[in-house]
Order: sequence, then C-alpha cells, then structure tokens
Amino acid sequence: MSTMQSPPPVAASYPRSEEQIAARVKALESLLIEKGMLTTEVVDRLAEVYENEVGPHLGAKVVAKAWTDQAFHDRLLADASAACQELGIGGVQGEDMIAVADTDTVHHVIVCTLCSCYPWPVLGLPPNWYKYPAYRSRMVRDPRAVLRDDFGLELPDSVEIRVWDSSSELRYWVVPQRPAGTDGMSEEQLAGLVTRDSLIGVGLPDIP
Amino acid sequence: MTAAGAGTQRQCIEALLDALPHRERIRGQDSEVSFDAAWELRAVALAVAGHQGGHYDWQRFQQALIAAIQRWEASESEVPWRYYDRWLEALESVLAEAGMVAPSEVDDRAHAVLTTPRDADHHRARRDPVTVDPGR
Repeated sequence: MSTMQSPPPVAASYPRSEEQIAARVKALESLLIEKGMLTTEVVDRLAEVYENEVGPHLGAKVVAKAWTDQAFHDRLLADASAACQELGIGGVQGEDMIAVADTDTVHHVIVCTLCSCYPWPVLGLPPNWYKYPAYRSRMVRDPRAVLRDDFGLELPDSVEIRVWDSSSELRYWVVPQRPAGTDGMSEEQLAGLVTRDSLIGVGLPDIP
Repeated sequence: MTAAGAGTQRQCIEALLDALPHRERIRGQDSEVSFDAAWELRAVALAVAGHQGGHYDWQRFQQALIAAIQRWEASESEVPWRYYDRWLEALESVLAEAGMVAPSEVDDRAHAVLTTPRDADHHRARRDPVTVDPGR
C-alpha cells in the first residue's frame, strides 16, 4: 500500500448544477484521452450499449400525445420547448427546440452540420453515426440518397425533403406521421411505435 | 459493432454493475439500466473503460463508491441524494489514487469547459432548412 493519502472527498457537501457536473465528466474524459489512458472509441462503444436508454422514450411520449391531442399538437409546433415543459420535459436554458411535423408531401430530417448539436432532452444521446462527418455532409448534399442507401428509407419522389441544421441555440426534431391502422391505440401504445430514427427523420415509426 | 458483440459487451458491463451498492438505482424495475442524463451514462462508460483498460480493479471502484455513499450519508447533507453524483465522486477518487488524474487537473479543465461557449463554432440559430430536396 502506498503512503499516498486518500484524496479528499470531492464535493460531497455542496450541490452542483447539472451543467457543472456535466462539465466535470467532460473534463475527466478529455484528460484521460489526452493522457492516452483511454480512447474516444472505447468510451463511445461502451456508451453505445446503453444509448437507447437515455431519452428517446421522452420524445416518443411527446409525439404520442401530439398524435392524440390536436390542441397539444398545435402548441408543440408553435413552441416545442414550452409544450415539452407541460409534460415535465425540460432542456437547458437557451436551448430552444423546434418540432417540425411530417406531412404527406413533406418529410423532415435533422442534422448538425458542424458538430453534434442534438435535442438531447427529448431524444437522449445522439447515435454515433449522427456525429460522423459522412452523415453530416452527405445529408446536406443529397438527403434522398442518404435516406435510401444508408437508412433504407425510400420516400416517394413526390415528397419534398427538408433538412434542418441544429445549432447549440436552436435544436430541431421531427414529429413523424401517425401510422395507419392505429385508431384504437392508447397514447402509451402509440409511444411504443415511435423510434429514435423517426424523431431524427431517418426512419419511420413502427407499424403495429 | 455487431448485435452479438453489443450483447456480450452488455453482459460484461452488467456483471460489473451488479457488484455495486445500490444496484437497484442502476437497474430499474424492468431490470434495464436507466439514466436520466447523458453525463450519467458517460460517467459509467468512463469508469468501466478505465477498469477494462487495466488501470484499476473493479473492486477498487466498488469500494470507492461505497465510501462516497457513506460520506454522503454521514454528512447529513441537505444536498438531495443522487446516485450518479456519488458515482462521479468515486470515479474521481479512484483516478486520483491510481495517479491518473489529479483533482486539481479536473477542477481546471472543468472550469475551462464551463467558460468555453458551448459548441463555440455553432452558436447561431438557423431558421430555414439547410437543404430542400423538392418533390418531383
């Protein structure tokens, strides 16, 4: 056993904001990577195992409510941050969200062209591919081909595709169309159909 | 990663998590691991990665977590109980003890993170689609 003293307890006694604590985790990660003790790939791979367990279910809940409550749907499109607050789903200050709704003639997709801005209070962690340069650049250049080739989502030629660039100030996410044949389903059952990919716009909700 | 690879990795991680105190806080009622915020998952991934990289025994982390929880309990703190706060405290103490990252380094870097504008290059809101591919 070394003679090194145990380090003092770290901040057991005073509260930290979410922002402070997230910064501390980020600091640890960047230091460990700089020192060559870990690689980003290793941490990403571990986080990836659970990435679906943070968040997207919140977005699914919001969408299911919008599908069953027209007044909420309208409020959501008018001010997504405020509508999410109604359901107790909150973001960080200054991170405004806009929900864009698919229609029979328009399909929306989100991207962050420069980094990985993502509406995480609603969608959780971005999947790793969302952060890759290939997705970020190609989705802007040729969205129809990326959706078809990379995600197997073949949209009718008649459908217009709009790609929205999320920034740290303003984050977009997609309200997909309610699938046919779901008339009798409860809000909870409907939420189960909403996939993460459909909230990004690279997929559609599951069909019951 | 293949689905099988992810499944194996998951089993490895869950075996580690099962050895920890308050595992019911990590595993919800449906026995799925759950997180409220992205940093929590990141902190878990860091702790597991450090162990898998051979930098410390998992038992060491387990003890540090028990100690961090006991300190919180003994302090009769008015700070609300949050499992992953204690997790981070344990992780920092293990990394310091292993000589990997000193607490002062974390303080300095966290300060730098907080004082750098988030996504500094990407701060301006774009209010129109960046691309429109019209229907034909």
